[in-house]
Amino acid sequence: MRSLVRPAQYVALALYILFLGFPLLWLISASVKSSGELNSLTVSLLPTEWHWDNYTEALEKQGLVRSAANSLIVALASTALSVVIAVPASYVLARLKGKVRAAGVGWILVSQVFPVVLIILPLYLILRTLGLADNLAGLTLVHTTYMLPFALWMLQGYVAAIPVELEEAGAVDGASRLTVLRTIVFPLLAPGVAATAMFSFVSSWNEFFFALVLLQSPENYTLPITLNMFVGGEGKVALGPLAAGAVLAAIPSIVFFSILRRKLTSGLMAGAVKG
Amino acid sequence: MKTRRMLAATLLSVAGLLLTACGSGSGGDGGDGPVTLTFQSLSDQPAAIAATQKIVGDWNKAHPDVQVKVVQAGWDGVYDKLITQFNAGTAPDIVHYEAAGIAPFATDGYLADLTQYLPEQKRADIPKGVLDSVTVDGKVIAAPTELQSYVVFANKTQLQQAGVTIPAGATMSWDQLRDIAKATTKDGKFGLGWGLSSPTAAFVALAPGFGGKYFEGTGDKANVTVGQGEQALPQLVDAMAHQDHSILPVTLTQSGTKALAPFYAGQVAMTVQGSYQAANIAKDAPKGFDWVVLPPLAGSAGPAQAANPQTLSVNKDSGHVKEAAEFVDFFTSTDNLAAINEADALIPPTTSARQALTAKLGGKNGWNEILASGQYLTSAPYLFAGKYAQWKDTVATPAYQQFLGQKIDAAGLAKQLEDGWKSVSK
Repeated sequence: MRSLVRPAQYVALALYILFLGFPLLWLISASVKSSGELNSLTVSLLPTEWHWDNYTEALEKQGLVRSAANSLIVALASTALSVVIAVPASYVLARLKGKVRAAGVGWILVSQVFPVVLIILPLYLILRTLGLADNLAGLTLVHTTYMLPFALWMLQGYVAAIPVELEEAGAVDGASRLTVLRTIVFPLLAPGVAATAMFSFVSSWNEFFFALVLLQSPENYTLPITLNMFVGGEGKVALGPLAAGAVLAAIPSIVFFSILRRKLTSGLMAGAVKG
Repeated sequence: MKTRRMLAATLLSVAGLLLTACGSGSGGDGGDGPVTLTFQSLSDQPAAIAATQKIVGDWNKAHPDVQVKVVQAGWDGVYDKLITQFNAGTAPDIVHYEAAGIAPFATDGYLADLTQYLPEQKRADIPKGVLDSVTVDGKVIAAPTELQSYVVFANKTQLQQAGVTIPAGATMSWDQLRDIAKATTKDGKFGLGWGLSSPTAAFVALAPGFGGKYFEGTGDKANVTVGQGEQALPQLVDAMAHQDHSILPVTLTQSGTKALAPFYAGQVAMTVQGSYQAANIAKDAPKGFDWVVLPPLAGSAGPAQAANPQTLSVNKDSGHVKEAAEFVDFFTSTDNLAAINEADALIPPTTSARQALTAKLGGKNGWNEILASGQYLTSAPYLFAGKYAQWKDTVATPAYQQFLGQKIDAAGLAKQLEDGWKSVSK
């Protein structure tokens, strides 16, 4: 009986992975089907005829590569900025007690309840005054501002999970505050930083509304704006090229996740403090 | 160490790229140089984008002092984009949109009156109903460029096998459609497939054929009244679906495009679609699939349908209103309208362009019937009702879905539509 447990676990895992990955498989399948096949009643994961033209059309249409580069710039920059600001800020939020912390937490929660349509016009006017409307630097600032509250909220949870006793032990051994942070807190915070970076990257990579309104010049469009152009008026959708574009758009996210995946190790602190 | 170096390099690269990006921005007029007009185009089909670029190229070649720059944008979210652009004073000089969406911007005073810039001959070439759809407070606030109508596509073989004579008159009645649907419903196949997952657009657009108007008044003062003319079509669809069982039920929950698959597969003999689907059917239908477009549908009040044309407007604060309006006039010349509508598989709004396209394309892919349906397009009050979009999404569509799903009756539908309007227009 016991010998069946492990295979059963693997089968369950395989089914779960299939369940999670099926939409991606379906997207890839749609990206290599002809318009006629996509609009037929025949349902098959494998296309009857491989139709690579969708990729050609996706790449030729509206500068998909340029938009991907723009998205990558904005996503990497806003992720870097979010992490750089959120790491020290979250440490303060998690460790400090009193009014500063209460004000910080209050700000985080309040900032989450404002609908973006309420702030988009004043935001646009401010950015235009600063000369940052319709450029990637302005969009990066907006993405960073928009993502920061949640990044802070996420990271302060990770910081709070690091026992204060570890820092105290470092201090007892003669380490300065900076040394404690550098050698004890930050390494233990790495999984949290990785998770926050992933969240920030994906949020920025997929963000549509700010980019739609703030970016006016096609040469500055990000990927969601360009992909949106595959959906036309009167309900017209170029499904095959859209799927091909979406597959290409998913690649940087997958690469970014693959790089950061190893940082998402948990259990580093197991047994660090014995009570 | 290696990771740290990589991280530092990445951050530096990003900073460098950002600085480069900061340096780039959209330019304006170059002082004493030629005037540059921005034209925000929503063309989405590759052929239509190419046709637009050709028209703009022709203009730029003929007008070295007034250059037009195309700024490509998408349909989704364009209303929010335009609101921000107009409020912030950064709207393009020439705006591509549709009559229903552009009217509120005219009411708010953002659009130039084109009456004086569009020649009398051009205005006379546009059917009155279509011109009315772009006229707000007596001012022509846009030039119509492309139209669509609802038409019936039919599988010729299935109709012939059912012994149905394919209608060939100038119009056909809805009762004829119902009879053909009944006759072709057999052997597990249905007479009609109609993608009505978002039924409001179709019901409101087709209501003029039954004398239905839905709206009285304009802007914030508009009111919804649902009477016999408004109820006629939903009740007909209900009867076909639930009494005759001649509509494939699943299509009522699908989009128009999704409802094409059972048409190709022979599960339904006919389908009601936007006229632009003719191009998709020609491209996607299986080999040997013999199809026709049936004559325009006529209700008790005739074959009228509401026109919601795509439009070109001029930003009132452009600084070069005259030049922008002249470009709009150029864009809507007979040849240009014929070219752009052929590329988009839509109907030109001017009589001369429709005739030019009929002469060029003849009976190919149902173009004759589709272009003929264009003459019956007329203005509709919903175009000028302030909260129409909100009412459509939050009130009308759920109400129609409940009605077609037999959750509410006709009286319940009328009540929901009228009360819902009062609620959203408060």
